[in-house]
Amino acid sequence: MKLRILLADDHEIVRRGLRALLEKHEGWEVCGEASDGREAVEKALQLHPDVVIVDIGMPNLNGLDTTRQLLQHDPHFKVIVLTITDSDQVIREALDAGARGFVLKSDAARDLVSAVEALQNKRMFFTPRVNDLVLAGFLEKGQTVSRNEAPKLPTLTAREREITQLLAEGNSSKEVASLLNLSTKTVETHRSNIMRKLSFHSIRDLVVYAIKNNLIQIELPPPPKTPAGPTAA
Amino acid sequence: MTIRILVVDDHPIVRQGLKTLLEGHSDWQVVGEASDGAEAIEKAKDLTPDVMVLDVTMPRMNGLEACRLLRRQSPGLEILFVTQHDSPQMMREALDAGARGYVVKSNAARDLLAAVEAVSQHRVFTALNERSFPQLT
Repeated sequence: MKLRILLADDHEIVRRGLRALLEKHEGWEVCGEASDGREAVEKALQLHPDVVIVDIGMPNLNGLDTTRQLLQHDPHFKVIVLTITDSDQVIREALDAGARGFVLKSDAARDLVSAVEALQNKRMFFTPRVNDLVLAGFLEKGQTVSRNEAPKLPTLTAREREITQLLAEGNSSKEVASLLNLSTKTVETHRSNIMRKLSFHSIRDLVVYAIKNNLIQIELPPPPKTPAGPTAA
Repeated sequence: MTIRILVVDDHPIVRQGLKTLLEGHSDWQVVGEASDGAEAIEKAKDLTPDVMVLDVTMPRMNGLEACRLLRRQSPGLEILFVTQHDSPQMMREALDAGARGYVVKSNAARDLLAAVEAVSQHRVFTALNERSFPQLT
């Protein structure tokens, strides 16, 4: 029987690349594709894939919250997260969310097949940096203060995180309500709870929070060209 | 008409996706790949492609710098940016650097074929999303 894989990434061009890579492997098939986290959850529940590959930086519902939602529905889902960064915080969140594989997008052509093979054999797959971090965390256990510990922030519920992402992506409360099948009033209530919990006063604060906490990821443009010419010694 | 294309992006998986899409067109040929601007310049010299599909953000040398240098080195080569940056400013910079086309990565599957066709005939092709940024209200 074939191993069935569900792919979730907002870029069709990346999905094509991933599909071409995975389908070269005999015995594997990509049984479905999703372009955001919400669609990934829907399709996973419909198709029951053996492995779900999710990009972290997806619109509407990011890959970490997608992983959390999938495992809430069914703890047997095997999820590999694809990420453009392996910062300590992203690694911690991916592990907390319950991902069994963690692959850098830039290394996907090399690592993704190994990651799927590992999950197929009931093992996990992480990049060397994740292994280092897990070991460092293990060694630090018992110490009073962890050097890399993320700042303590008030905890948002899953629904609040979802709404925070949608607001930070530029949706109005009305648009969020229609995306989540909620009333505008309910979204407004969540919105004021979020602002109160985080002590924020503007959507601008929320956008910064969403970026810092990996609810949304952005790629920065290259620095502007510096004009050529003699420089003062 | 046969169009010879060089694909430049630092992510192999994106190159693979672009290649699969471009090679769906029977007359087009992906003659090579490069993973940064410096390698793109080297390969353009050796392979003399008609069109270069070029990313903006790459290590070593970014796409804009490479584009400026390529304009001098290979004047016949048409350059088409395929980038994450859905911004009018970045598009302006790309065209100023000498590119003929600009396509946003998230729309590449929709826009890329038309864009390659256009720039290969020395026509300009640009496409951004309607809403490019979160509204800060």
